[in-house]
Amino acid sequence: MMPFVRCLLAALILPLLARAGEGEVFFESKVLPILQSRCYECHSQTHKIKGGLALDSKSGWQSGGDHGAAIIPGDLDQSHLIKAIRYLDPEMEMPPKGKLAADEIALLERWVAMGAPDSRVAGPSKKPRVIDLAEGRKFWSYQPVGNYEPPSVKDTSWPQTDVDRFILAKQEAEGLSPAPEADAYTLLRRISLDLTGLPPTPQMMAELRSGEVKKSRGIQASPSSSPPFHLSTSHATAADRSYEVVVDQLLASPAFGERWARHWLDLTGYADQIGTSNNVFAEHAWRYRDYVINAFNSDKPFDQFIREQVAGDLLAKQESDPAKQAEMITATGFLVLGDVEIVAVDKLKMEHDLIDNQISKIGTAFLGQTLGCVRCHDHKFDPIGLQDYYAIAGMFRSTDSTYKTDNGVWSSVNKTELPETPAQRQERQQRLDLNQASIDRWKSEREDATKRLADLDKQIASASGEPKAALQKQRDELDKQHRTLSSQIEHARFFAPVAAKAFAVRDVAKPADMHITIRGNPYALGDEVRRGTLRVASWDKFPVIPANESGRVQLANWIADRRNPLTARVIVNRVWQKLFGEGIVRSVDYFGTRGDPPTHPELLDYLATKFMREGWSVKRLVRELVLSRTYRQSSMELRATGEESNPLLASREASDSKLLALRSSLLSGMNRRRLDAESLRDSMLAITDHLTTSGRGPALPLEYPENVTSISPKAVNPPAFNLKKMRPIQDFERTIYLPVIRTAAQPGSAKLRDVFDFVQPALISGKRAETAVPTQALFLLNSDLIRTRATELAALITQSSPDTKSRLEALWLRVLNRPLTSAERTDSETFIASMPADKAWIELSHALLSSNEFLLRQ
Amino acid sequence: MNSLLTRRDCLLRATGGFAGLALADLMAGPLTERRGHFPAKAKHCVFLFMNGGPSQVDTFDPKPALKKFHGQPYTGDAKVGSNGRAVGHLMQSPFEFTRHGQSGLPISSLFPRVAMHADDLCVIRSMHADTAAHASGCLQMNTGSIFIGKPSLGSWLSYGLGSTNQNLPGYVVMTDPRGGPIGSASNWSAGYMPAAFQGTLFRSGGSPLLDLATPTGTSDRTQRRSLDLLKAMNEEHFARHPGQSELHARIESYELAYRMQTEAMDVVDLDRESAATREMYGLNHPLTADFGRKCLITRRLIEKGVRYIQLYSGGGHIEDTWDGHNDCIKNHTLHAGETDQPIAALIADLKRTGQWDETLLVWGGEFGRTPTSEGVGKPGRDHDWHGFSMWMAGAGVKGGQAIGATDELGFKAVEDRVHVSDLHATILHLMGVDHTRLSFHHQGLDQRLTGVEERRVVTKALA
Repeated sequence: MMPFVRCLLAALILPLLARAGEGEVFFESKVLPILQSRCYECHSQTHKIKGGLALDSKSGWQSGGDHGAAIIPGDLDQSHLIKAIRYLDPEMEMPPKGKLAADEIALLERWVAMGAPDSRVAGPSKKPRVIDLAEGRKFWSYQPVGNYEPPSVKDTSWPQTDVDRFILAKQEAEGLSPAPEADAYTLLRRISLDLTGLPPTPQMMAELRSGEVKKSRGIQASPSSSPPFHLSTSHATAADRSYEVVVDQLLASPAFGERWARHWLDLTGYADQIGTSNNVFAEHAWRYRDYVINAFNSDKPFDQFIREQVAGDLLAKQESDPAKQAEMITATGFLVLGDVEIVAVDKLKMEHDLIDNQISKIGTAFLGQTLGCVRCHDHKFDPIGLQDYYAIAGMFRSTDSTYKTDNGVWSSVNKTELPETPAQRQERQQRLDLNQASIDRWKSEREDATKRLADLDKQIASASGEPKAALQKQRDELDKQHRTLSSQIEHARFFAPVAAKAFAVRDVAKPADMHITIRGNPYALGDEVRRGTLRVASWDKFPVIPANESGRVQLANWIADRRNPLTARVIVNRVWQKLFGEGIVRSVDYFGTRGDPPTHPELLDYLATKFMREGWSVKRLVRELVLSRTYRQSSMELRATGEESNPLLASREASDSKLLALRSSLLSGMNRRRLDAESLRDSMLAITDHLTTSGRGPALPLEYPENVTSISPKAVNPPAFNLKKMRPIQDFERTIYLPVIRTAAQPGSAKLRDVFDFVQPALISGKRAETAVPTQALFLLNSDLIRTRATELAALITQSSPDTKSRLEALWLRVLNRPLTSAERTDSETFIASMPADKAWIELSHALLSSNEFLLRQ
Repeated sequence: MNSLLTRRDCLLRATGGFAGLALADLMAGPLTERRGHFPAKAKHCVFLFMNGGPSQVDTFDPKPALKKFHGQPYTGDAKVGSNGRAVGHLMQSPFEFTRHGQSGLPISSLFPRVAMHADDLCVIRSMHADTAAHASGCLQMNTGSIFIGKPSLGSWLSYGLGSTNQNLPGYVVMTDPRGGPIGSASNWSAGYMPAAFQGTLFRSGGSPLLDLATPTGTSDRTQRRSLDLLKAMNEEHFARHPGQSELHARIESYELAYRMQTEAMDVVDLDRESAATREMYGLNHPLTADFGRKCLITRRLIEKGVRYIQLYSGGGHIEDTWDGHNDCIKNHTLHAGETDQPIAALIADLKRTGQWDETLLVWGGEFGRTPTSEGVGKPGRDHDWHGFSMWMAGAGVKGGQAIGATDELGFKAVEDRVHVSDLHATILHLMGVDHTRLSFHHQGLDQRLTGVEERRVVTKALA
């Protein structure tokens, strides 16, 4: 183009552009607010699209509604919108509820006259999506769980279990092969960390080594060196059996529940704090935590686990054993221990927010469905509509989760008194008596102090000079004691064990169906929806809910039904992910249409079917998976031997990272994992012989008055906290027993959570990030916590072993759970020799505790 | 140590291909600098968070009508009172408003020094939020949601744009010595994003980062030697398990941490600044020293390329923040007094160093305060989330103007209403990011900072 033509064009266009800029400002400041407040309710994507007209995008009014384009830019008379707001045609007066103000009409007229400038980005297509359930049910996760036989494989010598056959068949089809088996040390460390979150016990290490003692040390020992539970044939060997024995020991260990309960708590938003406002302690939350630990340790059938958490309070009514009743009531803590906002002017909105929280949690944790967005509109991608959401919402609207306190805009979480066994009652009565005895003693001490204060006051009144100052000092002292006694009494009264309570829900007096709320606005009601559940995942009509019941029992039964296409698949996949690093469905929390498809769909269904058939036993499932050869492979390396010449791979021109991704998804090798915050802290405690069996019970050290900032009944929501002091034992308990705080740094030695990707205690998230960031390095290098453990470890090693050689051996076995190599020995000896004697072993221990190998499980 | 070094060399040669790949991966790591959707007006953003909620009618939103109706009961339909607290009568501002600069922007006597930069300020008088509570209000201002668990604005910027300096965190937060905001770290959390995008707490005195200082009794030389041993162990481990770039990233993270120790200490070493500069920021006066330090450190962090810096004024209990329930006059005199000079110094200093043109400043709290007193005859003001004022200044901002308006009394935003998420959209826009296109896939949904509602860039604010 000739330069001058360009100039000419620019001269022509520029003024237009300038005007367009002004027009946009006019549109945004004057026009948009009118459209939003007066038109969107009936004419927008997110509300309704009456008459086919949407006004929340430019394309909306351009293509227009049933009458054609709503606006002809620059032409007032031809623009339907202008006709309608002028109330010229009685058939089309807009807004129907009442004419706009004259100045509003004038603004819209001016806007259309100036060409209707509209700065909004093009919105989505204006036609509302109609949910086609029949079509929706074709998606894999809404299909009934299939019953598949394990496929046949070429290499029949490798598989030992059905899982192996599914995995190998896929690998063979892609030209891959399994990785060699991990060596015994790696495997023992892996299974121990995965099942209990702890390194192998010294006894397990000793047993492993006793079978090894004659062999040369070193982890590069060839697979044929056959350590105790190494497998090389498909026939069970002695090694096989010893591996099985270890697996069963770990499954039976209480540490199993302490590990797997935490995985479940990640799906609940659990914290020892209510909501986020004003530091309110959730003093009964620990009961739910212990319930979950017990459930995993006793291998409570998972379907029962579901029923209790959704409707335990109602199921308890059919139960006569007080211990079981208490357990079931406690289980419903699941519904109220997430991020429940309890400060709100608008109680109705608060209640709806909580219902949304509960529905989202049930959707994600049990069903792998994202339901929260359906509060305002039909799901954008999945066949789930407002009708489904409000069908469930009606049940929670019929459930009491919170109550308003006497104080201002405050609410609190519902508490239910727990039935007790006679033994429990007696035990509590003893504590109550002791508490009362303390109160009585303090009261009499206080009376005494009161009298002495009065005496002193008299004496002070008549004294002068130095004696008076001395008396005054005495009085101040006594007054301080008096105040301390008062706060002790108040504290003991407040926390008196008058009844065992749990955070739990209960049905309201008059359960009822609920109306759809327009865009989640609890005051704008749409149609009433019969209580029920997700239609796309249902195989039958939802059962009739008895009058005066919320329907949670029916919902729980629907979730836990063997015909539910989602539930078993979702939990089986979660368990798989915890053991293999990635799920068969990688998006573990989302089985919807935009999630990841299963890499092994038949295997997933095979496992789900078997899981349900065998009584929903999580322990059996775990056992089956870890006994597979698939689980026992060595960790993934870039290439397994022989693959370089694989024509399939060559033709795919697979880059290294692509190949790795393929191998990872087909499990040709084990995924490496970084220890999570709990495993890291607990392992360090175990390594230094400091791990203490927890007394369980309350996580919050409420017995220390300095942690409690407000217990006055007049306070907004007692007990409020400022967690300053932890129990000494809490430095040595497993991390799951330490308080979880939502709005402050994690207390005491739990601060590892803040550094190592602990799930934010409000998110419902089945998979944690495994990041590598410099703050972790700084923490490992410099924090007192690690330094303390390193110092303890150095002391332990130097005291128990006489010379450098045996100390090094002991150190490696303790920290990395394997013998050290000769190269490591040389390096370490050089390092020890080069360091000041008092520092050498601490520095070496510290380096090992910060090493990648310790941080990872292979 | 020779054997270590030799073996490490061998290792590098042996695994050259992998090391190269790993390094490339690392270079494309979470905090590597990335381009936005369009050329950015601002490269850095400083959010001056006035924790507790400053009163609009005492700062940037003059209301002559309050003088007229002072002491009379409020009869309008706005929902007054946040926590069931007593509602008093309409209360005029004791702070005189004066027009400043060529633009004649009215600013109250609380900010005499910031007022000297009136022509740079774009005041938004029509802000509105969705909640009456501090915790959820701070969360909304930082993450767009009143519930915990969403990524904060700084995380979105780190995710979208990365960082230009790998030796410092890309997203720095400095809280008030009296305490953090309610909700603490949830306000600078990365939510469902990887932790690499979360805000890093920086202390304005002593050792700026948590666990930055070497353990007591460990010399730098000792630590360097231990680090060399650790590095050798890690590289050997890597050699046994090649092909996983994550392992290399982890090895690198130790070197980063080591460099961070030096660089972060440098940033807070304010002795390197001239006496005049220190005086300008108010470092020599107890009232302004703390916020002054934070503002000066901010300028130094910007020099180092840090993307997003958030400073909190106010923390802890009611009157230690801008939460003037009891005596708003005394409260605001204190907190404005603490921050006015340092903020003005930061503006002037950025202009001096030439960074003003690439830095966006945002000032404000989680909401505003009522034009009524809280209880009759008591000079406190309650929370007001229906309408409040904030300002933006710096790169890409059209200064010397006030956008939008509250009603006659200053209760509610009525004209050109700007929702908190609209502000977020505008900040992203100035940083070169389209808020409708910056998304993070989480649980099947493309999540955005500005959520699902239609939000707009406040185009009037743009230069």
